[in-house]
Amino acid sequence: MASQSVAVTVPAPGWGRRLGVPAWYAALGAACAFGLAAWIYELEKGLASTGMRDVVSWGLYIFTFAFFIGLSAGGLIMASSSEVFGIKALRPLARMGVLSAAGCVAVAALMIIPDLGQPFRVTNILVHPNWTSPLVWDILIISIYFVFSVVDLAVLHRRARQPGRSRQVARVLAYIGLPTAVLLHSVTAWIFGLQIARTWWNTALMAPLFVVSAILSGTALVTLVALAAERWAGFHLAPATRRWLRGLVTVTLLIDLFFVGSDYITMLWGNVPADRSALNLVLPGGAWSWVFWLEWVVGGLVPLAFLVVPRLRQLPGSLGTASFLVLVGVYAFRVELVVIGFVNPLLQYPPGNALGTYSPATPSFQLVGRYSPTWVEYGIVIGLMALFALVMTAGYQWLALGRAETPVEAEEPSGADS
Amino acid sequence: MAAGTSTTPHHVMVIDTNRCVGCWTCAVGCKEVNNEPLGYWWNRVLTTAPNQSTSAKKPASENIDVPWGEYPNVEMSYLPVACQHCNDAPCVKVCPVQATFRRDDGTVLVDYERCIGCRYCIAACPYGVRVFNWGGGEYAPGGVVGYGKDYRTDGHLVFEPERPKGVVEKCTFCVERIDVGEQPFCVEVCPLGARVFGDLNDPASEVSQLVNEGGAVQLLAELGTEPNVYYVPTRRRVMTET
Repeated sequence: MASQSVAVTVPAPGWGRRLGVPAWYAALGAACAFGLAAWIYELEKGLASTGMRDVVSWGLYIFTFAFFIGLSAGGLIMASSSEVFGIKALRPLARMGVLSAAGCVAVAALMIIPDLGQPFRVTNILVHPNWTSPLVWDILIISIYFVFSVVDLAVLHRRARQPGRSRQVARVLAYIGLPTAVLLHSVTAWIFGLQIARTWWNTALMAPLFVVSAILSGTALVTLVALAAERWAGFHLAPATRRWLRGLVTVTLLIDLFFVGSDYITMLWGNVPADRSALNLVLPGGAWSWVFWLEWVVGGLVPLAFLVVPRLRQLPGSLGTASFLVLVGVYAFRVELVVIGFVNPLLQYPPGNALGTYSPATPSFQLVGRYSPTWVEYGIVIGLMALFALVMTAGYQWLALGRAETPVEAEEPSGADS
Repeated sequence: MAAGTSTTPHHVMVIDTNRCVGCWTCAVGCKEVNNEPLGYWWNRVLTTAPNQSTSAKKPASENIDVPWGEYPNVEMSYLPVACQHCNDAPCVKVCPVQATFRRDDGTVLVDYERCIGCRYCIAACPYGVRVFNWGGGEYAPGGVVGYGKDYRTDGHLVFEPERPKGVVEKCTFCVERIDVGEQPFCVEVCPLGARVFGDLNDPASEVSQLVNEGGAVQLLAELGTEPNVYYVPTRRRVMTET
């Protein structure tokens, strides 16, 4: 495939397999229905049906919320960068990227609803907003970002169908898109980073860390979607595009690990008891060390090896494998961020905090918090993930992304990639 | 705040940890008067050691009443903790809908009708004193109903005996009692007289004496949340073998 320019029309053999598509939609629809049923059950029973309690009072919903906010970055940043920095190789992914951005941010916003104790009062945020709350700003920027992504998608789509039109508009949108994306991740990071109560969260690195892990996970997601579309839906991924994706994932993964490691070093060297007790929960030997292994090894060193070690990167599935593992690692980082903030005791005195519920023969207090999600939480999260996949598939078909929008000339011989 | 400049009282509670014996009467009294469901503790008594910082030492045990150190060099004291009613309260700052608010007298309250149950305040409180109604609340059969009425201040519903599901709540300084000149219930029931409640704007009040001259300190004062609950630190008393 080296140094070959890509034809505009690529046959779409994937959709020809008629049986596969309805089955895929049916499976996703069933998962969505299950998620909805789980939410109705939760409304009936209250949040007592989740694994959250007063000690660990945010759980799987908030991990997934923060994860999807991060995922929404990649597409938009990719689409905008192709304009702003003139990276032609990323342009074929622009519409797919913006579609995933819109889908991710919508799913992230929906993720908050089942986490609320009084979901039907959510309009109070519009009626009585408290402007000192990072949450209000986050909801504002999420709304802006969603509207922006939809508009951007429409403009890009028009431009793809009628080349030459909407060029200026697309450029202007690209210049607005980048700072909006950075702001979205920063404000979400500040929900945690501004809090003085929990030293685990209260670091100035939080916003930069969120921005870089967002670019990392978002790029990995778009890579996976593009690879899946290539495999099943007649999309073509040019070698130059592939090279850019690989490079972006590699660089942001390194920066991400550098930031997290930098926070670790600060806590280790400082040896402040509250910091150390939090960090010890994550480091090998701690109760949450599985998160450490997922973040640093499964989602860190292993994908890095697939991305940079010459022998491994030549393997056919190397980019896809690395992208998937990166997503696992970034999710682990969200778990680490939220959960350690909660399980680490605020006042390190027994008996700790009350749970807020009672079950016979178990203590009502926890000094070091514990948390494991229930089927209700898994059900709702899986349902929303299925909804995302549904939006992506339907959007892909509706926008006819299988047909490449702009011919991409491979700028140079692409060597061992592809 | 300058003394005696306004007619609004500045409500403050001072807890003398030298008097506290860790009997939990305040915590249980709080549960009863406020009709707190099973598993709820708006007020709780932590086992600690004299002059120990909140995080410097590993806890002696997960259980209460276990002293630090080895016999005969052991030490122990108690720290009753409920809402600290901060002047610069993180919970008030983070609440997206202004459901948590601070009254002019210093009392921090939650509007049960406005709270959306996002629990950001629980994440933001450095003292871990907020309680969420996870499932509507269960009661032990034949429990005491306590105050038993709704209570509103400035139109905000801040107490309900039948607790709404999916809403955050916490110590109210017994707002329904202090508004009619009574003492918070924990102050009234403490058998040791370890708790004092009053007006910091009145220089002659007992709380003013304890705060201004008695060396009372705030919990995690370094965070700058300016709690309106003060603690008289425990004086170390060395027991010698006889």
